[in-house]
Amino acid sequence: MMTKRKLIKNRVPTPERPAYERIKSFEEVNLGYDFDLALMEAERCLQCPEDYAPCIKGCPVNINIPGFLAKLKEHRDNPYLAVKEALRIIWACNSLPAITGRVCPQEDQCEGVCVMGKIGDAINIGKLERFIADYAREKGIDDELLMEIIPKIENKEQKIAVVGAGPAGLTCAAELAKMGYNVTVFEALHYPGGVLVYGIPEFRLPKEIVKKELKKLELLGVEIKTDHIVGRTVTIPELIEEYDAVFISTGAGTPKLPEVPGINLNGIYSANEFLTRVNLMKAYKFPEYDTPIKVGKKTIVIGAGNTAMDAARTALRLGSEVTIAYRRGEEDMTARIEEIEHAKEEGVKFMFFVNPIEFIGDEEGNVKAVKFMKMKPLDEKDSRGKRKIVPTGETITVEADTVVIAIGQVPNKIIWKTTPGLKVAENGTIVVDEKLMTSIPGVFAGGDAIRGEATVILAMGDGRKAAKAIHEYLQLRDKFISPNEKS
Amino acid sequence: MSTCTEVFIVYKILERKEIAMRNVWFKVHAPHVVKMLQPGQFVIVRAFENGERIPLTPVMWDKEEGWIGLIVFTRGKTTMQMNTELKEGDYFLNIAGPLGNPAPMRKYGKILAIGLYTGIVEVFPIAKAWQEIGNKVHTLQVTFEPMIILKDELEKAVSKHTAVGVPIDSEKSFPENMKNVTARAREVVRAMIKELKPDLVFMVGPVGDQKAIFKVVKEFNVPMLVDLHPIMVDGTGMCGACRVTVGGKVRFACVDGPTFNAYEVDFDELIKRSGYYRDLEMRAMQEYMQKLQGGAQ
Ligand SMILES: Cc1cc2nc3c(=O)[nH]c(=O)nc-3n(C[C@H](O)[C@H](O)[C@H](O)COP(=O)(O)OP(=O)(O)OC[C@H]3O[C@@H](n4cnc5c(N)ncnc54)[C@H](O)[C@@H]3O)c2cc1C
Ligand SMILES: Cc1cc2nc3c(=O)[nH]c(=O)nc-3n(C[C@H](O)[C@H](O)[C@H](O)COP(=O)(O)OP(=O)(O)OC[C@H]3O[C@@H](n4cnc5c(N)ncnc54)[C@H](O)[C@@H]3O)c2cc1C
Ligand code: SF4
Ligand code: FES
Repeated sequence: MMTKRKLIKNRVPTPERPAYERIKSFEEVNLGYDFDLALMEAERCLQCPEDYAPCIKGCPVNINIPGFLAKLKEHRDNPYLAVKEALRIIWACNSLPAITGRVCPQEDQCEGVCVMGKIGDAINIGKLERFIADYAREKGIDDELLMEIIPKIENKEQKIAVVGAGPAGLTCAAELAKMGYNVTVFEALHYPGGVLVYGIPEFRLPKEIVKKELKKLELLGVEIKTDHIVGRTVTIPELIEEYDAVFISTGAGTPKLPEVPGINLNGIYSANEFLTRVNLMKAYKFPEYDTPIKVGKKTIVIGAGNTAMDAARTALRLGSEVTIAYRRGEEDMTARIEEIEHAKEEGVKFMFFVNPIEFIGDEEGNVKAVKFMKMKPLDEKDSRGKRKIVPTGETITVEADTVVIAIGQVPNKIIWKTTPGLKVAENGTIVVDEKLMTSIPGVFAGGDAIRGEATVILAMGDGRKAAKAIHEYLQLRDKFISPNEKS
Repeated sequence: MSTCTEVFIVYKILERKEIAMRNVWFKVHAPHVVKMLQPGQFVIVRAFENGERIPLTPVMWDKEEGWIGLIVFTRGKTTMQMNTELKEGDYFLNIAGPLGNPAPMRKYGKILAIGLYTGIVEVFPIAKAWQEIGNKVHTLQVTFEPMIILKDELEKAVSKHTAVGVPIDSEKSFPENMKNVTARAREVVRAMIKELKPDLVFMVGPVGDQKAIFKVVKEFNVPMLVDLHPIMVDGTGMCGACRVTVGGKVRFACVDGPTFNAYEVDFDELIKRSGYYRDLEMRAMQEYMQKLQGGAQ
């Protein structure tokens, strides 16, 4: 039944820390909704029917968005119940809403196709998703939901190895554990979470949230072995021997560096090194923490994706003046809109149509300037639908004592170098079929390891899909192969 | 932070012994590391909650008993804290590995394997393995007199071992003293190459000394390998902190090395890269020393 009411065109804004305050701290920038604000925003939703709602189709994991928003309205007098029921709906498709609510490029997904967006502002789905997850975490609602699930789990015999503890691996592990499998996750670093802990900064994704997700895995009985570099500590062929199935989710961790003179000068960091030092190793608290970082007066960040924005805003917080230098134009930037806006508000400057051709150093081997080739766009589009760019022949030299390179990442070669028979594409990504199975039977893969640099939600979606595929694979296998033939 | 990390592997210190001035031996329980460990590989260790990740080399290990032996030289804050605070029965927080490529196991013939200071730690397992597959290995450690280590072990493991101890001149500064070690090492290496006519020289030590020794070796045109020690963070190829220029190309020492052909290494660049954090390292060290002194009062 539809009641007649007035359309509210504008979004209910979320409170944010002011720019002058936040550039001095690593605390989270956006403060999120409370229940009343969330309800007001949810009220704006037109409740498109489930089989039509464009947002559901726009979401890579097809969350029933109008469904969970309706729960807020339905139980408006009982926030606890409202959130619990909403979370139940989200969890059917997405087990990490506190994270995706913060990092998804919603403007290209659910919010990008929202009907309200044609009339006024799209519903602020990301912030609503985040609100539900945060409220649930604070009140222990997520634990309660989990406790409803755990006693119903029927334990199975089979053991599954998950390689890499980023969003893909953690999701796959959780889903398999919920089906009753014995799951062991192998992680190279000393702390699980992948990019969520070493890459994305605290001011965008508080580490407390990732910690909570890890706690849930513990409750589900998932074992995480840190300090295990698969390919070195133990190999995929060994895991195949010991486990019934393997899921590879090692991400795309190797930084690309421009092959130009001076790239090894001091003060030139890959974004991965820069962000790892600050986020994982807490170098911003040196000397309380032992890992050092050096940020000069003028930082240039090369690239314009999320990684570049994170590096730029981190350098800013460490006291530097920061310029983002991008070889394409403003409208080609690939970062989330919110991050670009935040970077601008905080005082990050931008240079467009410039490509580094040389890093210039002083006698001590420290970088002091970057020489750029000026580029210009053509009308012609490239294979990814972006305007092609060509050098103009004109150069420009800009002073800098810190440079962060954020031009992309490729998968680490340790895995495929040590796994005979594993098919990989030319760019190092693992080749999989539509069920995410690799060229080796029983070995599945997902996330950035198969896509190259993608997104958290796609990684998470792969984790879920793989868990299902592994379950089907094992059921089929065990139906046709008698137990004594198995190994 | 430790909910998921502590439970499954405990890196217990089974033995701790100061084996020479500023050199401490740790025998550590690390069964996952030894399974595939080969000479030439290293581990990344984190010892304290606020601590950094540093690379160290297992000098010996037992696959059955599941332990590795580390020898830590007191260099800056982290190594000093490890050597001061960690006792038998304590735990390392993390040991990841084995990392890096195993040393090339080939029959070269006569090999001169040199370790300056604690560099001999990395030389030991490689030299031993080279000897075992039929090479004639001569090892050499040049260091300060009270810092000689692994003498008996090397004498047993290879054809011939020479330990050269340079006396510490207490009138002079430490860097001045180190120059004496470099000068002495150059002399001894020159003499040994003449006498031994090695088919291969291998060397581990501070990068400045690697450059100095390489110059000597080059005069004789003998093939030379070095293990490089750039600053590392993850040790798995994901950060690029460890990048070096070898043969005109950017390489990541942790995944492409650590062993490289000395003739292709850009030593000057690595010297500069290794010194980038010196001021911060000094600061960390000073603050730690003050803390120690404060605690002692
Ligand atoms: C700085 C930065 C900011 C980003 N911002 C956003 C954003 O705002 N929104 C968004 O949607 N996406 C963002 N992304 C992209 C997103 O983080 C990734 O797409 C996502 O994390 C991929 O997940 P994954 O599980 O496939 O891999 P990862 O998160 O990369 O995790 C892989 C894990 O595997 C481990 N591993 C690697 N090799 C081995 C091995 N041999 N053995 C054992 N373990 C191994 C790694 O240590 C790591 O923990 C960002 C990326 C970066 C770098
Ligand atoms: C492959 C490899 C194997 C090694 N094996 C051993 C070993 O078996 N025994 C041993 O005593 N030492 C070994 N080292 C050196 C050891 O890692 C450094 O001495 C240690 O990191 C110094 O830390 P610090 O805080 O005590 O000193 P700092 O004062 O922080 O630094 C002193 C100097 O050590 C180097 N250094 C600092 N941080 C790092 C880092 N994260 N990674 C690499 N080098 C760094 C720099 O050149 C620096 O100028 C090895 C290094 C490498 C790369
Ligand atoms: S998961 Fe991402 S795309 Fe899907 S509804 Fe949530 S914010 Fe939108
Ligand atoms: S130490 Fe990070 S890539 Fe080698």
